[in-house]
Amino acid sequence: MISRPVSRPTARRPYVLTIPALVVIAVLFLFPSVYNVVLAFQKLTPYDLPSDAEWVGWDNFESIFTDPEIGSAAFNTVFWLTALTVVVRLVLGLALALLLQSRVLHRWRLRGIARTLVLVPWMVPPVVAVACWKWIFDANTGVLNQFLVSMHILDKGEAFLAQTSTAWWAVAAIVVWRELPFVVIVFMAGLQSIPQEQYEAAALDSAGRRQSFRYVTLPHLRPVMIVVVLMTVIQTFNNFVYVWLTTGGGPGTYTQVLATQLYSSAFVSNELGQGAAIGIVMTAVMGVFALVYLRVTSDREGRSA
Amino acid sequence: MTADVTTKAAGRAAGEEQVVRRDRDRRRARDLLVIVPTSLILFVLVFPVLWMVLTSLRPTTALAARTPWSQYFDGLGFGAYGRLFSGSHFGRYLLNSLLVSAVSTACTIVLACLAAYGLSRFRFRLRGTVLAVVLATQLLPFVVLITPLYIALGEVGLLNSYVGLVIVYVAMTLPLAIYLTLGYFNTIPVVLDEAARVDGCSTVGIVFRVIFPIALPGIATVVVTTFIATWEEYFFASVLMTSDDLKTVQVGLSSFFGEYASDWGMIMAAATVSTIPTIVLFSVVQKRLVAGMAAGSVKE
Repeated sequence: MISRPVSRPTARRPYVLTIPALVVIAVLFLFPSVYNVVLAFQKLTPYDLPSDAEWVGWDNFESIFTDPEIGSAAFNTVFWLTALTVVVRLVLGLALALLLQSRVLHRWRLRGIARTLVLVPWMVPPVVAVACWKWIFDANTGVLNQFLVSMHILDKGEAFLAQTSTAWWAVAAIVVWRELPFVVIVFMAGLQSIPQEQYEAAALDSAGRRQSFRYVTLPHLRPVMIVVVLMTVIQTFNNFVYVWLTTGGGPGTYTQVLATQLYSSAFVSNELGQGAAIGIVMTAVMGVFALVYLRVTSDREGRSA
Repeated sequence: MTADVTTKAAGRAAGEEQVVRRDRDRRRARDLLVIVPTSLILFVLVFPVLWMVLTSLRPTTALAARTPWSQYFDGLGFGAYGRLFSGSHFGRYLLNSLLVSAVSTACTIVLACLAAYGLSRFRFRLRGTVLAVVLATQLLPFVVLITPLYIALGEVGLLNSYVGLVIVYVAMTLPLAIYLTLGYFNTIPVVLDEAARVDGCSTVGIVFRVIFPIALPGIATVVVTTFIATWEEYFFASVLMTSDDLKTVQVGLSSFFGEYASDWGMIMAAATVSTIPTIVLFSVVQKRLVAGMAAGSVKE
C-alpha cells in the first residue's frame, strides 16, 4: 500500500482552505465596491453596455449636494428613520429588559413565557412585518382605524401610511416593532452580567432603587449601550425594505430615504452613476460609525484576552 | 406561602393580622405595576402576528365589512389558503425560495467550514488581514453593492438566474458564517486532527469527517441563521430576479400588496406561510441563537 506523503508542505494549506471563501468575498464585495467608485463618475443607464459609459467627473456628487430632494432624503434617513427609531428602541428596550428581569415575573412564573413572546417580532421576516402592519393601518377595514372609530377618537378611518402628518410615525412604529427584540435581548444579557454584590454593596450604603439604577446599572450598561447604538444605527441607516414597501418614499417624495433614493435613481430614473454616488456618500457616513464600532469591539476583545 | 402567612396571622392579634394583610395587598399591587405594563407591551409585540393568522382564516365577506367585535371569530376556514395556492403563483415562489435558500446555505456552510478550519488551526502571515476583511464586509452597506452587482451579473448573463442569486447570497452570509464556525472549531482539541492525520486522513477529510460532526450542534445554529437570512432577503431578490417565474417568497408577497390589494385574507395567508419556516427553524435553535447574539454584543 502506498500511503500519501505524511509531511506535505503545510505552509500552503491555510491559503488553500481559505481561498475559496476569499474569492467569493472578493468577487462580491471588493470588486463591486471598487466598481461602484468608477460608476459614480460615469453616466450610464441599465440598458447601455458598461463600455458605453460617459465620464462625467464630479457631476453625480454635485447633484447630491444641490438636489433638494436628495437633501430631504438625507434628513429623513438621519432623523426619522434612524435617530428617532434608535432612541425609541433604546428607551423601550431598556425598560422592557428591566421588566423582564424583575423578580416579580419570576415569582409569578411568567419569566419564561415573557422572554419567548418578546422574540416574536424578530422571528417575522421584514416583508411579512410590513404586510401585517399595512393591514393593521388599512384606512377602511384596518383594525387600528376600526378601534379608533369605535372609541370615537376618530370620525372616520385615516390612511396612516399615505398622508404626510402620520406617514413617518407609522413607518417608525413598524421599524421599532420589528427591531425591538434584538435590543431587549442584548440589554437583558447586559443586565445579567452585572455582579449582584454591587447591588448588595449599594444597598449597604443605603442606596434606594433609583440610586442603585443610577450608580450601578447604568454605568455597567454603558459599553453594551454603545455597541447597541452603533449596530442599530448602521443597520437602520442602510435599510431599504421598511420605507420602500410601506410608502414607496411617498406621498410624493415625503418619506424618501437615501436607500430608496439610491434605488429610484439607479433603477427608476435609470441613472446608475447617480445611484452609485449616493451609495458612496452613504458608505462614507456609515464608515465613520463602522470604524468606531471596530475600535470599540476590538478594544474589548483586547481587554478580555 | 400565602396560606402559611394567613395561618400565622390568624393566631395573632387582630391588629397584626390587618398589618400582614395590608402588606400582602401592597405587594400584590406593586406586582401589578410590573405585570400590567409588561403584558401590555408584550401584547402589542405579539398582536400583529396573531392578527395576521386570524385574518388569513376569516371569510372574505367578513373582511370587506366592518364587523362587530363579537363576530370576529365567525366562519373561520382555510379559504384564503385555497385561493393562494390555486389562484396565484405563490407555490412557485415557495419552491424558488426553498431551492435558493437551501443551495445557498449548503454552499455557505461548506466554504465557511473550510475557511474556519484554516483560520482556526493555522497561524499564517495573512491571517489577521483575512479576519479583518471578513469583519469589514459585515459593516459594508449591502444597498451600495446593488448597482455594480446588477451591471456585473448582467454582463455575465446571471440576472434572472438562480445561480446569480445563490452566489450573491453565499457572499452575503459567508462572513458571519465563518466567524461563528471559527468560534465552534476553536473549542475542538487539535489532538483529534492529529490522530486523524496519522490515520491518513486528508485535510478536507479531517474538516468534514472529524471536526464537522463534533461541531454539528453549533453549526446547526449557523445553518439556521444562514437559511433564515436568505429566506427573509428582499432587496437583492427584488432587483436581480424580475421575471415572475423566478420571484422568491418575499418578493412575491410584496407584489401581492398591489396585485391583490383588496384580498387581505389571501395576503395574510401568504404572509403566514412565509413566516412558518422562520418560526420553526428559529424555535429549534432559539436558546443557542439568543445566547450567542447576546454574548457577541455584551462580551467584556
